[in-house]
Amino acid sequence: MTSQTATAERSPAPAHPGARSWLLLAVCEAKMVIRDTAGLIVPFGLPVLILVMSASSASETVITGGRTALDIHVIPLVFTMVVGLIGVVNTPSFLSAYRRTGVLRRLGTTPASPAMVLVAQVAVGVVQAVLGMAVAFGAAVLFFGAKPPIDTGAALGALALGIAVMFALGMVVAAVAPTPNSALAMGLVAYLGLGALGGMFGGKESLPDGVARVGEWLPFGAAVDVLSSAWAGEGVPGPQMAVLAATAAASAVIAAVFFRWE
Amino acid sequence: MNRPAIRVENLRKRYGDTVAVDDLSLRVEQGEVLGILGTNGAGKTTTVELIAGLRAPDGGRVTVMGLDPWRDRAAVRQILGVQLQEAQLHDALTVAELVDLYRSFYPAPRPRDELLELVELTKQRDTRFSRLSGGQAQRLSIALALAGRPRVVILDELTTGLDPRARRRMWATVEQLTEETVVLVSHAMDEVERLCDRVALVRAGRVAALGTPAELVRTAGAADLDEAFLALTGERLGESEEEEEAA
Repeated sequence: MTSQTATAERSPAPAHPGARSWLLLAVCEAKMVIRDTAGLIVPFGLPVLILVMSASSASETVITGGRTALDIHVIPLVFTMVVGLIGVVNTPSFLSAYRRTGVLRRLGTTPASPAMVLVAQVAVGVVQAVLGMAVAFGAAVLFFGAKPPIDTGAALGALALGIAVMFALGMVVAAVAPTPNSALAMGLVAYLGLGALGGMFGGKESLPDGVARVGEWLPFGAAVDVLSSAWAGEGVPGPQMAVLAATAAASAVIAAVFFRWE
Repeated sequence: MNRPAIRVENLRKRYGDTVAVDDLSLRVEQGEVLGILGTNGAGKTTTVELIAGLRAPDGGRVTVMGLDPWRDRAAVRQILGVQLQEAQLHDALTVAELVDLYRSFYPAPRPRDELLELVELTKQRDTRFSRLSGGQAQRLSIALALAGRPRVVILDELTTGLDPRARRRMWATVEQLTEETVVLVSHAMDEVERLCDRVALVRAGRVAALGTPAELVRTAGAADLDEAFLALTGERLGESEEEEEAA
């Protein structure tokens, strides 16, 4: 038995992992995504596909201010779908798989905090979503003559809120789903449910009036609406943006409270 | 006498109706290698999880270098390295990437090359975790547990599922840990006999006997540690199914 020095000093104040460590974890998560090539189909392939399916007719219908149905309806819908799929479905299944295989449990024995893992995952997801939207928008501009939003500032704000609310909802799924399969199921149900109420299938007009009114205030419908307003230059729909922000904040708190390592 | 590295007093933990740890007490001195030996379900892993602060105890007290692993979690995680049974890592990352990631969690980590050399993974530095053999993955797991220069290291079921050659290599790695206090959880008698200064025999969530391997054999009036275990706990330390498969 080797005996060490008897100095019984208390440990120094815990030095949490620094900024370099947060960045490194995000880079590692990005490598995980990039090395899983099939995982890149959703953020990059799907939006372009949806666009191609509906763009050509929509690009001929001018609605207001030189903006067509493509600009005002299709692009906001495609953007919201991309962000929603990555935020509510993809990211939580990744985290849930980490929990199942013990990756999170192992990290839980180190000074890395739950917040680090969540932030790294969200950062990588957001980058994917932004790139996915950029590819889709680039294709829309190049092949279908899509135009930028009339109110750029409002569009960026709406986009930021949409991203915040979808990823916060995804974090709730990641926090409460017990298994990877249940995370996928919960994520898909949430995504499709919110999407349906928000006009993902055939537009709001095809929904019963009361349902459409409710859907406008739920994350998917509200995100499409605020993006659409920005594209049409119709000003900022304050109440809907406030509801999006409140939903995002509440979801983030719930996720943080319920997050488990195993 | 030095302050112990780990002090466990009257520890209790139950899951529903199952009592996993029932009034367990032990003391691990600084610098020693203590083995926790018991059959499956004796409460070994729960004890480790309580020491590592992964769970809160229902009763009793644990300290690691004087700190409470549940309440002073952040501080304990700086000085405690844990290799967990069956925990996976990011499977698409390489050995070097994982080592660098885990090193980044600590203020004064061991150099990467030193860690890789210690666990004999220098040649596998660019191999992804998913392509490592069982023994290599376990050795990487030890390297990660040592990345932050911990004062106390817990190794849980280190060699379960490994073939005899991989087990011997693992033992050689553990024998190099002369600075650290090591808690080695095992259900393999030969492993504990070779590596540990003292051994706690755990049965039904309690310490049935504690001493050096020689003391335990003497106390039980037994011929070897295997017999001593049977005499002191009333249980036979059977080989697990994984080991039979690996053998």
